Amino acid sequence: MTTEQIPQSGIDLLRIVRINEEIKRVVGVSFKINIMALNAIFLAKRAGTAARGFGVLSNEFRTFSQDLRSGMAALTGMVYGCVREVSLSLQDLRLTRLLREANQLAPQAALSAILSRREQQDISHAENLRRLRRQLRLALDDAFQMVELGGVLAKSAKIEAAYGQAFAVPLAQVSGEFDQIVEEIRASLVSLRRSAFFAGN
Amino acid sequence: MKTTKTIFQDGNHKWVAIVRDPARPNHLIDTNEYLVTHGGKGLLLDPGGAEIFPAVFSALATEFDPSALAGIFASHQDPDICSSLALWLEFNPQMQCHVSWLWASFLPHFGGTTSTFVQIPDEGMNISLEGLMLQAVPAHYLHSSGNFNLYDKIARILFSGDIGAALLPASESGLFVDDFDRHIRHAEAFHRRWMGSNEAKRRWCERVSQMEIDLLCPQHGAIYQGADVQRFINWFDEMQVGIVNA
Repeated sequence: MTTEQIPQSGIDLLRIVRINEEIKRVVGVSFKINIMALNAIFLAKRAGTAARGFGVLSNEFRTFSQDLRSGMAALTGMVYGCVREVSLSLQDLRLTRLLREANQLAPQAALSAILSRREQQDISHAENLRRLRRQLRLALDDAFQMVELGGVLAKSAKIEAAYGQAFAVPLAQVSGEFDQIVEEIRASLVSLRRSAFFAGN
Repeated sequence: MKTTKTIFQDGNHKWVAIVRDPARPNHLIDTNEYLVTHGGKGLLLDPGGAEIFPAVFSALATEFDPSALAGIFASHQDPDICSSLALWLEFNPQMQCHVSWLWASFLPHFGGTTSTFVQIPDEGMNISLEGLMLQAVPAHYLHSSGNFNLYDKIARILFSGDIGAALLPASESGLFVDDFDRHIRHAEAFHRRWMGSNEAKRRWCERVSQMEIDLLCPQHGAIYQGADVQRFINWFDEMQVGIVNA
């Protein structure tokens, strides 16, 4: 790596931090879904047989919330890996710069050998970061598919609510909230996908 | 690049001061590094911060083969003392760093592994450099709570770390103190603010007064020699330290 790339690592770190903040937001929302799904299950039980389908969908929402949290935990792990690689890169760039300056002032065969070894390490950091970036992108795509399923569940819940007889109105309200919250998550994931961090190699 | 100045030599036993880098950025405090060599091996005292590594390394290389460095002596844990540790270890991973036991688990944040650090107990210890016995002399709380000076009985040199340090203006860049009264004005504020204990200071003054010292070499500023050594000890003994108006 060259000294011109130092700011790029700093920018990468900032982008990763933003990704992490968005992931934290999604995790927060998924907790909310879990509580909403529990309330919906109780409501469906009170509504009895007319809301049996709604009850099944509410259970699916709970599973969706748990899957989403697991997905986000995996993403957080990958984000940590990216932070580690970028931090090591930044640290190595500084040390390499200082060793290079020393070698320019007092050329030493041993220093030259250290610098070539460091160049290999830099290449390895860049490769690791590329790999983690790809993995993170794939995991985001998986999360996106999960949210598509959540959207289908919310739409189905709206239809089932209409069969809720006396409970049709409160059930419709709950299914509307499900829909809203899934859209909120979708917006977060879209913003994550657009992160310039994924534009790098 | 820094310059080197041999301040003691007897055969292959040598003390070299690595000082005064004209290219040093002003935001970095100026530091003195010292190299003790004996029997073809070297011990680097307070090797300095990471940012000045190129200047110290290149100056040292003009005097001595850097691959023959056996170790580092760190008077305490500050970044201007040894944040360059990782770079020196990169050059010679077997190098050992002698430091107060208090900092042995702190310094690895700068670099090194368990095998890098030789922990100096509070009462001090002897450090052998190819048969030359150097003495780690306790100077705790002056200013660091785990702090050591290094005494070479043969050369009659005391490396005093931050004790005796002076923040000199650019116009006074001599290696040795030539006018004690003028020089000490630049040391006063530093000692009053950085040194934390009058009791520790008193004990240090008593201890070093009993030593034969021709040169008292601080990590910042100029070297005290001859009568100025005792003059400094007396001055320090009388000063009230550990006081701040806040």
